[in-house]
Amino acid sequence: MAIIERPSTEVAPSGASPAVVVPSEALGVFKRPAASTSWRDWLVTVDHKKLGIMYGVAAFFFFIVGGVEALLIRLQLIGPDGKVLSADQYNQMFTMHATTMVFLFVMPMAAAFANYFVPLQIGARDVAFPRINAFGFWCFLFGGIFLNTSWFLGGAADGGWFMYAPNSSTLFSPSHGIDFWGLGLQITGIASLTGAINLIVTILNMRAPGMKLMRMPIFTWMVLVTQFLLLFAIPVITVALFLLMFQRSFDATFFDVASGADPLLWQHLFWIFGHPEVYILILPSFGIVSEVIPVFSKKPLFGYPIVAMSGAAIGFVGWGVWAHHMFASGLGPVSVTVFSLATMAIAVPTGVKIVNWVMTMWGGKLVFTVPMLFAIGLVVQFTIGGLSGVTHAVAPSDTQQTDTYYIVAHFHYVLFGGAIFGLFSGFYYWWPKMFRKQLNENLGRWNFWLMVIGMNMTFGPMHILGLQGQPRRMQVWTEARAGEGFFDLGFWNRISSIGSFILSIGVLMFIINVVYTHKSKKVAIAPLDPWDARTLEWMTDNPPKEHNFDSVPTVNHLDEFFHRKYAEDSTTHELKQVASAEQVLSELNAHPDEHIHMPSRSYWPILLALALPVIGYGLIYNMMITAVGVALVLFTMFGWAMEPSTSPDDDFDPPASEGGHTKELAPLG
Amino acid sequence: MRTMRRRSIAAKAALVAGIGVFLGGCAKDAPQDTWQPAGPNAEKIDNLQRPIFYVAGVVGVIVFAAVAWVIYRYRDRGQAIPEQTHGKPALEITLTVIPVLILIGVGVPTVGTIFDLAKTDDTEMVINVTGQQWWWEYDYPANGANAEQFGIEEPIVTSGQLVIPEDTKVLLRLTSRDVIHSFWIPKLNGKKDSVPGRVHLLRLEGSEPGIYAGQCTEFCGLSHAYMRMETVVLSRPDYDAWVANQLEAYTPPEEGTLAAEGESVFIQQCSRCHQVNGLQNDDGSLIVSAPEQYMVAGAAPNLTNLMTRNTFAGASWDLLRPGCRDDVWNSNSEEFGAKYLAGISEDCLNQKDLREWLRNAPEKKPMYADPTQLAATDGKYRGMPALGLTEDQINALVAYLLERK
Amino acid sequence: MADTAVAHSHGSDHGAHHTTTGLSNNKLAMWVFLGSECLLFGGLISTYMLYKGRVSEGPQPDQIYDIPFTSVSSFILLMSSLTMVLAVSAAQRKDDRNTNLWLSVTAVLGATFVGGQVYEFTAFYREGLGFTTSLFGSSFYTLTGFHGVHVTVGIIMLGALVGMIRRQRIPGDKAEAVEMVGLYWHFVDVVWIVIFTLVYLIPS
Repeated sequence: MAIIERPSTEVAPSGASPAVVVPSEALGVFKRPAASTSWRDWLVTVDHKKLGIMYGVAAFFFFIVGGVEALLIRLQLIGPDGKVLSADQYNQMFTMHATTMVFLFVMPMAAAFANYFVPLQIGARDVAFPRINAFGFWCFLFGGIFLNTSWFLGGAADGGWFMYAPNSSTLFSPSHGIDFWGLGLQITGIASLTGAINLIVTILNMRAPGMKLMRMPIFTWMVLVTQFLLLFAIPVITVALFLLMFQRSFDATFFDVASGADPLLWQHLFWIFGHPEVYILILPSFGIVSEVIPVFSKKPLFGYPIVAMSGAAIGFVGWGVWAHHMFASGLGPVSVTVFSLATMAIAVPTGVKIVNWVMTMWGGKLVFTVPMLFAIGLVVQFTIGGLSGVTHAVAPSDTQQTDTYYIVAHFHYVLFGGAIFGLFSGFYYWWPKMFRKQLNENLGRWNFWLMVIGMNMTFGPMHILGLQGQPRRMQVWTEARAGEGFFDLGFWNRISSIGSFILSIGVLMFIINVVYTHKSKKVAIAPLDPWDARTLEWMTDNPPKEHNFDSVPTVNHLDEFFHRKYAEDSTTHELKQVASAEQVLSELNAHPDEHIHMPSRSYWPILLALALPVIGYGLIYNMMITAVGVALVLFTMFGWAMEPSTSPDDDFDPPASEGGHTKELAPLG
Repeated sequence: MRTMRRRSIAAKAALVAGIGVFLGGCAKDAPQDTWQPAGPNAEKIDNLQRPIFYVAGVVGVIVFAAVAWVIYRYRDRGQAIPEQTHGKPALEITLTVIPVLILIGVGVPTVGTIFDLAKTDDTEMVINVTGQQWWWEYDYPANGANAEQFGIEEPIVTSGQLVIPEDTKVLLRLTSRDVIHSFWIPKLNGKKDSVPGRVHLLRLEGSEPGIYAGQCTEFCGLSHAYMRMETVVLSRPDYDAWVANQLEAYTPPEEGTLAAEGESVFIQQCSRCHQVNGLQNDDGSLIVSAPEQYMVAGAAPNLTNLMTRNTFAGASWDLLRPGCRDDVWNSNSEEFGAKYLAGISEDCLNQKDLREWLRNAPEKKPMYADPTQLAATDGKYRGMPALGLTEDQINALVAYLLERK
Repeated sequence: MADTAVAHSHGSDHGAHHTTTGLSNNKLAMWVFLGSECLLFGGLISTYMLYKGRVSEGPQPDQIYDIPFTSVSSFILLMSSLTMVLAVSAAQRKDDRNTNLWLSVTAVLGATFVGGQVYEFTAFYREGLGFTTSLFGSSFYTLTGFHGVHVTVGIIMLGALVGMIRRQRIPGDKAEAVEMVGLYWHFVDVVWIVIFTLVYLIPS
């Protein structure tokens, strides 16, 4: 138990002058870890900002993994009768590509931004349950690693990310891949569920004074909607995964047709989760560009309440459209009609968002920084994805398009051209806030344009491929069905594969940019407010102090920060800058709060999360290992329960203390 | 003036985009093109989706034009900080109502078409279609609706190529023996899943003789890519001839020929799973295959009239060599029937793929056919195993199979 | 995870914290968590409803259900909600002795219910309904098993609460901790009423 040793007692790189923390009495089973600057601090931290960064780094790692899988797929399909991958490898590859991108990249990357910026945007000092937050991160990381170890233990899951029954039963997929898949998703599901509860409580309960719901930054709004979707979607997939596990590991017959089971049960459960999941992926990115576009248009978001409400409407209607994934599954015409019309209806709030972004730019003063470029990229590419979406909301038309490359094109325009472009917009926009340096704009432009060209070259031709009848999930395509002339499938498959490599060079430019920015001595520290931003997260240091705000601001406006910097000239009615960001910040810091209680570091989250994959391996290989895992869970939960979330020595007074009243973080969890 | 010119550029862009989309519908030689309907069901879908594509295209062009205009017009040219307006309710409502109206315009014909395509009361012929890893079986029931009228006195069981009469409202009763598959002939109708334990109905009607290609479109495991199928539409007289041929009694190969040798190889090596109707043991008893003992799905293709079809192994390879194939596939609708009914001649046989298949099937088409790894399936195969035939046996088998028409 | 949030610490001992909604974080989190649980049981109940009539072998539902027995155990579980209410009200009066008393009674009633379920499972098993016998069996055991696990977790939470109150290990608002476990307990009871009605009372 060496790591349970108490690290050094010196701390706090956070403020101008470090606060000294004295070692405390042991309150839990073990002495709790104290703050330190070593790498070990990252293992025990409960700081939402550090966890946000860890979410981001881990998710980006999985992005590369999923990207390599995608490149192998495109390499296989570059010519007819591809020989790069065997059928078995190919099936594993597309299953894991989708699983990785959905569960291990886009969702956790959105969680990274949500963790880092939601508390800052609402004027909170941390999330409601910091230790549960840390636990969630470790669940995601260990779940993702657990899932990917299947590659080395007899092969990954091979049933597609939708894992339709009965093809997912041991009869048709005898390797352990699907067991790893199901258990891995259960573990990451715990991360999503705890994260959802945590962020919902944080957003509802921990807003700064005056931060009414309708004054919340739109990113926070979209995160709130997303977390509600997760809250209700995760338990449904949990049920489905339990049924699958009982079937595969304990011989239950939930999807065994011979015993009278209905394979459509899985489809309904999966898509009741799966369709809200799509909005879970896209809404955070909508939130990001709804922050970025106003900043670089120097205008507030056009129709803020409508954008917020349309997000909520998408979240709500999103529950009533799941069966549009099943138009060919043999539903009756009445159900098909209902789901077809509901799906069209959801195009309205989505279209409203596009209109509002364009109208935000209309009449603005547009500055085309890299974050703005990515945001505009989202608007344009998402429009294409949205319109192709309408064409297969039309159920009869969908029976021609579903399970063809047309659908692949559609959701990559939505999820790559939309969600991922939004995330990249967020990287560039918030980088100086998180890391004090601004990413290089020139490299960023290369990054952007290569990604735009690569993305459209890869996925644009897939519209043609699909309409020409090339189905998805095919290990090979044959020249006999490729046709000739302009719509020759061979030609467009080649273009698509070449595009995927351009796309990866684009992503590589981002990595180069990050390395360059942080290694090169020439890159100066970014100014406090490099973009002339509008929202509360910019009213902090770069990067923010551990407790975020020396004094929690009182909010009087939507776009509070902007209104503290700019005011209307009473005679000319023109907007004039009245204060710099530095002035606003020092004014805010002039009267710091006393006795700020920050949650203390803890070993328990990582230990508890570590026990879960142990149970997972046990369920697959040996029940004795499961017993060990369960014992570990019980032990760590006991330790966790016995440990108060804040040790008294973490009572922290900002250095410039000049009295003022006490504001506390409600530190729990 | 400048605005005018820009507008006309936008109009031209819209035109070019429109032509691009239109060309998509006119592409030749793409056998699974979803925009070239060849039967009333697919036409109904096409009539519905085409205008929707155009509307979507126009909306897209308008949005792109708006974005381009905004980017150009409102770029930072040192103008003052704009007024901090939060929106214009009237404009927002208008811009919400417009898509609602468009979608109502899309929704009404959609509902009509959904119900139209679900109608089954005017069915003229029923065929049972069963998917399994990784091929389709077609069963023409002798007691089905109007079976008599089409001369189907005894059940006909085929695979790979579904043969239907021209201008006849055929109803497919789709099901599966193992996992979910999906039946899709793009030029004749949209797809419908075949789900084990359920029967789904799909209408099929071809208005012109010819071969229409399709593929399984629900991921169904290892060889999903090799689960293809075709639907062959024949004129009514040709169809009657086809039925008569299918029902013809078995003619054993002449004694002493290579084909006769092939028959005994077939009986030893193939007949456990593959049925050839009328095939007899030496003692004169009928041979009935029992694939359920060896196969997970419990079925293997019926080979009675193999050489009347022109593809094999889940329609993945041609039985016709390339020149002959083009002659049949690309022939005009008048000549097609005769060419198709001629079946596979020795000259036209695609020896290469058929022999490779007989030599080692799982090498050609990925299948779970490793006899050492069948623990999960109680020793049953999924797909055809490698039989370890000698070249002599293969020669004999090919000669025998060539007579199966 | 809300269970851990319930059973332990309330952080600093500065008393109640200000929150935007006025509801404490813990309580709000429990409500949100229970919202999620609704969908979990929704999924399990739907599965059962779909499969209850699918008996390829083994007994039919109406052949093995012992309605009088299950009614009694359901009644016991319902009564435990009443004692839980008494515990909460005692906690609000800061009456530790009665709080502990009623919490213990609740736990005992809950344990009786779980004991009844274990008895019922073994009886069904002896009558030929195993977990893998039929779709009905699989979905019945899965649904009621998940509920049983929830009750068991609740009993553990009650026990922990009793222990912590006795040793004065709850630093924050004691009444709130009791109230949160109460919320969970009532939820589990309500779910049982739904299950009892749909599974046992409505004939298949």
